[in-house]
Amino acid sequence: MTTVLMTTNKGNIKIELDDAKAPKTVANFVDYVNKGHFSNTIFHRVIKDFMIQGGGFTPEMSQKPAGTTVENEAKNGLKNDKYTLAMARTMDPHSASAQFFINTKNNDFLNYPGQDGWGYAVFGKVVEGQDVVDQINNVKTSRSGMHSDVPADAVIIEKAEVVQ
Amino acid sequence: MTSPARTLALFISDLHLQESHPRTAEAFFRFLAEHASHARALYLLGDIFEYWAGDDDLATPFHQRVIDALRDVSAAGVSVYWMAGNRDFLVGQDFADAAGLTLLADPHVATIGKQTVALVHGDAQCTDDLNYMAFRAQVREPAWQQQFLAMPLAQRKGIIAGLREGSRQAHGEKSYEIMDVTPDAIAALHAATGADVIIHGHTHRPALHQDPDSGRRRYVLPDWELDTEPVRGGWIAIDAQGNITRHDLHGQPL
Repeated sequence: MTTVLMTTNKGNIKIELDDAKAPKTVANFVDYVNKGHFSNTIFHRVIKDFMIQGGGFTPEMSQKPAGTTVENEAKNGLKNDKYTLAMARTMDPHSASAQFFINTKNNDFLNYPGQDGWGYAVFGKVVEGQDVVDQINNVKTSRSGMHSDVPADAVIIEKAEVVQ
Repeated sequence: MTSPARTLALFISDLHLQESHPRTAEAFFRFLAEHASHARALYLLGDIFEYWAGDDDLATPFHQRVIDALRDVSAAGVSVYWMAGNRDFLVGQDFADAAGLTLLADPHVATIGKQTVALVHGDAQCTDDLNYMAFRAQVREPAWQQQFLAMPLAQRKGIIAGLREGSRQAHGEKSYEIMDVTPDAIAALHAATGADVIIHGHTHRPALHQDPDSGRRRYVLPDWELDTEPVRGGWIAIDAQGNITRHDLHGQPL
């Protein structure tokens, strides 16, 4: 059981990763953590009572390159319940790379097979700092260029590290 | 990447719900709970009921189950829209109020995910079926409907039962061709609505028809039938990016 600590400008979020049920997804995520990818990224997409998504953009809304993708492991029995961590992706089921989201509601429709036959792979859950997640869930959002649902005041992940 | 996102809109039609087909009804309720509740909008494009004698028939237990299920969807924050089919065109405002949905005219043009989409049930585009077109012209007249609805409910149900039997017999005699939409009617619909995309049901011939020259697309919904083998059903979805996809009863993309 790997644990990751995210230090944000709203507080700390401690996440327990499920290596057993989502080995590839956890390995991929931990790799990005260890490379320092998540430092100085933001939660750039927050939809109230749906999910908060981050790990892809800097506070200036420039996208951080994330070359390595991971196979879709959504069929692992884990559910997109409130406070679980899952990988974001495009329509391509295996396109997940670094961007992740934390569910802020039980989002059953994201579970395998989901709306597209694949669903979204859950690979961890927030064990400390659920109140911080709640705070982020409630931030005011607006448009930024072609992005909508962007927090008006940046929610910054200062760093992410494996703790044990 | 903007996934995950709530589906923008879901489309179904031709469920032909009736008490004698419990598996189909169960599949409908499952679809509403598992899929429709998570979309931003649900469009019901006609013949959801096998027949509808009038809104004074709202109170039957079966109809109440359907109304309750639809109201749960709209209570979840989904915009629910209802278009008349050739079987259930007498559904009125009382039903709409009870179920928490909005009635749409046929055709209806919607802008969904930056796509302009023309929505029709599909029966008005089967212009080669002259008998049906004449029947439709008559029964869609407000005056005819007022007169019909003034009859006692039991009498209306008797007439409808007769009509359904007549339709069953006539189906056996009609050619496959006249029971489909005609190219002229489809072209006219594209022209009248200015929409390059049409979504309809009625013909029970699920497909995507794409014109290679104009790029125009016509999506046809399946009917639902789970009380016989092989089962039939499915839906159409428009996602947050404006992609239009067709799905089988399990949600698998076709």
